[in-house]
Amino acid sequence: MTGVANWLNQGAALPLALIGLPLLGGVIAWLLGKRYALQVAAVLVFGLANIFLSLALFLGGGADVTLPFAGYGFEGHFVAGGMSSVLLVFTSVVAFLLARYSVSYFKGDTRGGVFLLFYFVSIGFVNGALLSSNLPVMLVFWEGLLVCMGVLLLLGNLEKPRAAIKMLWISGVADLLLMLGVIVTIRVSGQSDIAAMGRLPVEGLGAYGCALMLLGAMGKAGAMPFHSWIPLAAEDASSPFLAVFPGSLEKILGIGLSIQIVTRIYDVRPGSAMSTLVLVIGAVTLLFGVSMALIQKDMKRLLSYHAISQVGYMLLGVGSCLPVGMVAALFHMMNNALYKSGLFLTAGAIERRTGTTDLRHVGGLGRAMPVTMTCFVIFGLSISGFPGFNGFFSKELVFDAALESGVVYYIVALVGAVMTAISFLKLGGAAFFGTLRLPRGIKQVREVRAGMYLPAVVLAALCVFFGAGNRLVDQWLFQPALGLTESFAGWPENWVLVALSVAALLLALADHLYGRKKTGGALGSADHIHHAPGLRQAYALAETGKLDPYNWLVAAVGGFSRVCQWVENGVSWVYDKGVPGLIGGASKLLHRGVNGSLTRYLLLAVAGFAGVLILFLLILL
Amino acid sequence: MTVLQWIPHLFLALPMLALIVNNVIPRARIRTTTIAMSATVAGAQMLLALAGVFLLVESGESAVRFGMIWDAGKNVGYFQTDLVSMFLLMCVGMVALASALTALTTIDDHRGSYTNLLMVMMLGLNGMLLVRDLFSLYVFLEVTGLASFVMIGMYKSTRDLEGAFKYLALSALATIFILTGLSFLFIKAGSLAFDALTPALFSGAGDGSTLLCWAALVLLISGYSIKSGVAPFHSWLPDAYESADTAVSIMLSGIVTKIAGVYSLLTLTRLFDGIAPLKTVLALLGMFTILVGALLALAQKNFKRIAAYSSVSQMGYILLGFAAGTNLGILAGLLYLFSHSAAKSAFFTNAAALEKQLGTLNIDEMGGLQKRMPITSGSSVVALLSTAGVPPFAGFWSKLMVLLALWSAGLKGYAAFALIASILTGAYFLRLQKKVFFGKPNPRWDAVVEITGGIRVSEILLTIVTVAVGLVFPLLLLYLQRAGLI
Repeated sequence: MTGVANWLNQGAALPLALIGLPLLGGVIAWLLGKRYALQVAAVLVFGLANIFLSLALFLGGGADVTLPFAGYGFEGHFVAGGMSSVLLVFTSVVAFLLARYSVSYFKGDTRGGVFLLFYFVSIGFVNGALLSSNLPVMLVFWEGLLVCMGVLLLLGNLEKPRAAIKMLWISGVADLLLMLGVIVTIRVSGQSDIAAMGRLPVEGLGAYGCALMLLGAMGKAGAMPFHSWIPLAAEDASSPFLAVFPGSLEKILGIGLSIQIVTRIYDVRPGSAMSTLVLVIGAVTLLFGVSMALIQKDMKRLLSYHAISQVGYMLLGVGSCLPVGMVAALFHMMNNALYKSGLFLTAGAIERRTGTTDLRHVGGLGRAMPVTMTCFVIFGLSISGFPGFNGFFSKELVFDAALESGVVYYIVALVGAVMTAISFLKLGGAAFFGTLRLPRGIKQVREVRAGMYLPAVVLAALCVFFGAGNRLVDQWLFQPALGLTESFAGWPENWVLVALSVAALLLALADHLYGRKKTGGALGSADHIHHAPGLRQAYALAETGKLDPYNWLVAAVGGFSRVCQWVENGVSWVYDKGVPGLIGGASKLLHRGVNGSLTRYLLLAVAGFAGVLILFLLILL
Repeated sequence: MTVLQWIPHLFLALPMLALIVNNVIPRARIRTTTIAMSATVAGAQMLLALAGVFLLVESGESAVRFGMIWDAGKNVGYFQTDLVSMFLLMCVGMVALASALTALTTIDDHRGSYTNLLMVMMLGLNGMLLVRDLFSLYVFLEVTGLASFVMIGMYKSTRDLEGAFKYLALSALATIFILTGLSFLFIKAGSLAFDALTPALFSGAGDGSTLLCWAALVLLISGYSIKSGVAPFHSWLPDAYESADTAVSIMLSGIVTKIAGVYSLLTLTRLFDGIAPLKTVLALLGMFTILVGALLALAQKNFKRIAAYSSVSQMGYILLGFAAGTNLGILAGLLYLFSHSAAKSAFFTNAAALEKQLGTLNIDEMGGLQKRMPITSGSSVVALLSTAGVPPFAGFWSKLMVLLALWSAGLKGYAAFALIASILTGAYFLRLQKKVFFGKPNPRWDAVVEITGGIRVSEILLTIVTVAVGLVFPLLLLYLQRAGLI
């Protein structure tokens, strides 16, 4: 491993290998589109090669490469070390599992080849973004990822590319903010390399740079108000897309950069205004996302709202600006990537077998798909924060950090935990337990193929490992990533917090049972919250998109263009009707005055004489 | 005597000689050649004056003075010609040539009388340009007017004598204004010679007789404005042009109003240089004229009436050039006058061609004549573009110079107005072109063929002048600059 690391460290091998290999793999997987076995082999080879190279770098002590081309502030400076090598390794593992799943998911589907192509290209871009120490170069990779997502969303619904357009708009705005932030940051620091920044003070122009960069990074992760394309994508895009982009890659990049901004680029202090900004956005994102998840009846849409709300937890960690918060954010981000991707995989399995994930048409699949169900249960327990699972440990750390920042944030986090648990009790109950319900036309359902369930099983195993072995994980990953010597792993020390968390889970269970009894099924178990006085109206507003900032923007743009149209029409009227009418009218009026009468002519001439006289008098007197 | 001193004599001698020849030889004999003779006289005047302009510039003298029958010697003579009048003499020759060429076709009866009247008219115009005092100017003005009334009446085309009568009536009013004004000036200055009339007349402080001068100015401006057809004194003009034969209309529009009216006004501004109100009033009159003429042209249906109102409108630009008061302004005005004369004469020859071939001048009855009459159509388009001020035709340069003169004289508002108003020029001429030459062909004119003879020659000649002058204009400007005139 050290040898490989040394080889990579020579010259251009590091960026070429980690960025170039996935690109090559994507092209090959695409070309092998019609040969399933070879495609699987290609995915295995290139996925494992990516893991191998990342591991080699991580274990070999990192690397630092500067390419010989530079100019205009763009400099090919790639660094593997600390956070970036840890994230590279983690990304490579998750990416490999998802790639393997995707091959099987798209078996016999012509779109599979294109999906794999852009997926692998995205991995190359993510690797590049993680490795880039130069901010403008990082932005280039960042935008490359955006383009890949746009293409894939577009392919998901070619007739009506609303999700692609919405994503491009929203992520485009977020990236624009990030770009502005980068420009300001370069201006403040005088150079563009993260490694040489050394914690700029958050004041004056620097405050704007920090805020803009943070907004961009959080927007990438899917925080409010940059979230609303995700539920729409859940309707149009495939499950692998959701698992890959909103589920893992975007969070890795967004939260990874947020942590970098707070800890390495800027000197953000706990309790500062910048910290509060992040905390508030986190809290709002968390509450909004989980509230919307609660009432969804489609598995993919429900999960997509959780993909939003989980960002809230991570941001509560980042926003605290404390070491524990950073560990919490990183830990929770990784956990989320594991279980959220896994959950999307189970949704994909159901979709693959029944053609839908709408729980009003499908449900009670536990007996038919036992492996999928088992994985789902593990993911569900993890995301709900059941004691002993990975989500529990990271959430306790978030609670810690939130409590240090302010009791309000803790309460929000706890309420979020309750609602998360409620929605997953409902989801699991409806999808896997109870009587079997199948859409019309489908008689029976089998478990999916090994190629699809094995990645989910591995993810589930990783969830268990990240929970049970969190000390090891902390030692291996978080401490080197954040450069900490202190350990935050192990069973939480504050028993009161644990007790409160357990109480929250019990409360959720009680509510679930109450809801079940009231409506007679798991699917309607959250309806009493949905239809509670006050909430019902709020939900109606949210469901119709009235609370979506994107829609406000679209309405504002529409209004602006209507105003422009009025102005345009007015100007056109002046040109087309007004001026010609005025001239024509004046012309007719004058013409009518000419009647051929000599008397009139003479009078006119005398009047002209009088006019000249008056002019002279006016000028002279 | 040098050639330069001989040339001015010919401007008076040639028309008189032609007049004598025309009346000595019996009518029946000379009938076929009489108009050709007047065309020769006009052409000769054009060439002589052209040569005179260059000789005068080269000689470096400001003017040539001479006497006709008794020669009082150099610098004493009662006639004189300077660059301005020499240039205008050339314009007179050009327009008279166009008129005579048209008359070859259009005038059938009283051909001998046409020559007589044209020669008298040229004598009057040339006389106005050569004299050295305001009263002689008035006398020649009346000579010109007299010939005009008779010509309009004698060669009436579509209407009765009404046009001639209206011109006569308004000219009578103009005579009253001018004579009264001249007498006021005479009371004050004791002489009407140009040398005696200076801006100093207006500066007598607290003197009641200064008032006489101002009154004279008001009267003279009004009188000359009637003669030149400046709005609101213009009402006789379209009626007269419409009722006259086209060959006569060409003279009236192309040069008579220009010399009788505009040259007189120019003389006033040159004599009383520095009298600010004079220029302001001229500028305001010019603006008003541009607007009213263009608006009225938009509403007309008769080809000649459109051309007539266009003449009124274009007169405004010439006045604006003179109102700038600078050398550049006067030069711009004169060049505008020239390019306008060429373009407007072309329009009237087009009108003659249309009237001859179609028997009507109502533009609503025409349409799609481009194919039937390509020369007439092309000449009309060139005249339109030149008048509207489109490069590279003569009208563009002269309009540009007027605008530059106004701008550099500080009259920026007037310059902006003149520029915007030229859109109106484009509007009424495009309307004309669309209705007459473009658009859907009217089946009624399927048998129509292109005009031949003098009218065709005249059309081609005037078009060549417009295009050629436009093309060599930069060279002309360089020449004038080298001569120290701008």
